[in-house]
Amino acid sequence: MAGEYSDYEYVEAGKIDVKDLPPLDSETEKIMKGEFSTGFKLSILYYLFIFTIPVLNWFAPEFMFSSMFGGMTYAWFLTGIVAMAIAFIIAYIHTNRYEKRLAKYETGHTIKPDGSVDGRSAG
Amino acid sequence: MMQTLLEPKMLMTIFLMGTIVYITYLTKRSATASDYFVGGRSFGWFTNGSAIGGDYLSAATFLGIAGLTFQLGYDGAYYAFCFSIGLTLLAIFVAGPLRRFGAFTVADFLAYRFHSKRARIVAVIVVLAISGFYAAPQLLGAAQILSMFFGTSYEFGIIFTCTVMIFYVGIGGMKGTTINQALELWIRLGAFILMVVAAVYGGLHYHKILAAINEFSGTIANTAQFAPDGKDVPFDGNSWTGTGNYFPSFWQTISMTIGLSLGTIGLPHILLRFYTNPSAKAARKSALMAIAIASVFFLFAVYLGAVGRSIFLAGSADPQVVKDLVAGGNNMVVPSTAQALGGEWLLGLVIAGAFAAIFSNLSGLFIASSGALAHDLYASFFKKNITQKQRVIAGKISILILGILYGVLGLMVKEASIGHLVALAFTVAASTFTPIFILGIWWRGMTEKGAIAGLVLGLLASMYMIFLPTTLPEFLQFRVPGLITVPIGFLSVYIVSKLDRKVPADVNEFMKRVHSKESEVA
Repeated sequence: MAGEYSDYEYVEAGKIDVKDLPPLDSETEKIMKGEFSTGFKLSILYYLFIFTIPVLNWFAPEFMFSSMFGGMTYAWFLTGIVAMAIAFIIAYIHTNRYEKRLAKYETGHTIKPDGSVDGRSAG
Repeated sequence: MMQTLLEPKMLMTIFLMGTIVYITYLTKRSATASDYFVGGRSFGWFTNGSAIGGDYLSAATFLGIAGLTFQLGYDGAYYAFCFSIGLTLLAIFVAGPLRRFGAFTVADFLAYRFHSKRARIVAVIVVLAISGFYAAPQLLGAAQILSMFFGTSYEFGIIFTCTVMIFYVGIGGMKGTTINQALELWIRLGAFILMVVAAVYGGLHYHKILAAINEFSGTIANTAQFAPDGKDVPFDGNSWTGTGNYFPSFWQTISMTIGLSLGTIGLPHILLRFYTNPSAKAARKSALMAIAIASVFFLFAVYLGAVGRSIFLAGSADPQVVKDLVAGGNNMVVPSTAQALGGEWLLGLVIAGAFAAIFSNLSGLFIASSGALAHDLYASFFKKNITQKQRVIAGKISILILGILYGVLGLMVKEASIGHLVALAFTVAASTFTPIFILGIWWRGMTEKGAIAGLVLGLLASMYMIFLPTTLPEFLQFRVPGLITVPIGFLSVYIVSKLDRKVPADVNEFMKRVHSKESEVA
């Protein structure tokens, strides 16, 4: 796959009613579910944080625009500083989990908390 | 003449241009379409992560975010917050599967997914619309810098920048563009780091300057001579540090949050970047690196906007700096602040950094749009048995056409705010390609008609709400209309797909391909 590309021919694959669609093979379904579940949970967590800021800004402005230290308000601290770190942390957790799942798919074994692979090595 | 050439801003800009020419020369051989459009899929996560950062952190970030913070205070910083969200969502839902899919262009995704020429054509139209929206403010930034610091006319600035881009992308293709983008990113980051160090070294600590700004109320000294009305410029610090200056209601804020946070997933020039990685694993790592770089950038940009405001309020800055801040508009806050913090050399580095931001982003847009024209339109519809060489030539000719088209757009946005124009491009992307990619990758039930309905209705709704807001009831007049247009995009895809029910017979094969194990992709 890497490198070259061959043109896609418009081969008519046909269409079927979605109710007649055969189920996905178990392996692809497992990978998709695992990926989506992790991504969805992290996104929910992330959006909770994201929407908390405008909600508090508009409905608890006395707190959000009060001084945290010097002229730094809670609103400014969360929006201009913490949010930037959270964006990276969420993506890091996702990539980290993805790599662990990847090793699991490829080897059929799990990765221990210390990073070592349970069973045969990934290589 | 010699004295002008030896000025730091001139030296730095010449150095940047020389580097671009050298890299473009070294990478000019694009033997195949894969080389030209996706750099032979040979870039590792570091280079590609830097290039994604370079693509994403456009003039809107380098000049616009600090400018908006300078002008709007907290509401300007909120723009940066919203821009910072998108890459993370892209890394979570799209980056890996998109690389496994592995084609040339964004429209390829729809053509493969649905075996549909109609979907490809609609996708091309949306790619060109988003790219045009995004390119115009980049050209605006370039022309303003040239005008302010080199004394050229706005029109010359637009023509000059388009000419450089035609040379840069037309000859270098994706290979040259990626290496240039990666290098340019580090020039910008270096400039920002030096500015932050200079500000902190000068005692402009974050909490102190925010306190000083918050306490300021009245008129700003020494600004009358540069103000159009001849009076000192008034300023209310308490209002600047609070919210509601620019977004007058809670729902306006939510609308922008939705539009900007989901927009990145639909930006063609960013999506295209994930085709250039050798593997899905590298694609995710590239995204992670780009997020780290972007987070640092946004953090610095907001801080420097506040630094610029505090320097301006102090009334002790060099008259040239005060003049630039009063007359230059919010887009020129970063260069003016650099001059105040570090004199001519820092200004020179920042000007080179600003050009780097503009060139980097524009080159990504040129590549994405040339793929849409040469690969999706010409090679797919007009010349079926096209050779690799002819495909590369078609790509280069389309760069020339785009240079002219973008130039015209650039001439039309002379008075606009860079940051806000880019925000509108994000909204169009969030309402069109974002639903297509998220649902197309994760939902087998999406149909061709659903995808086309989503693209068309999302595009029309966002264009209408951006250009004709006054024809709508007041409660629907959003500055960034994501709250309305993004659900229209998603719901159109979902409802039409549910009604249509006719999915491609090989959709399971497609899902297996984009969600397969790494070993099966290699």
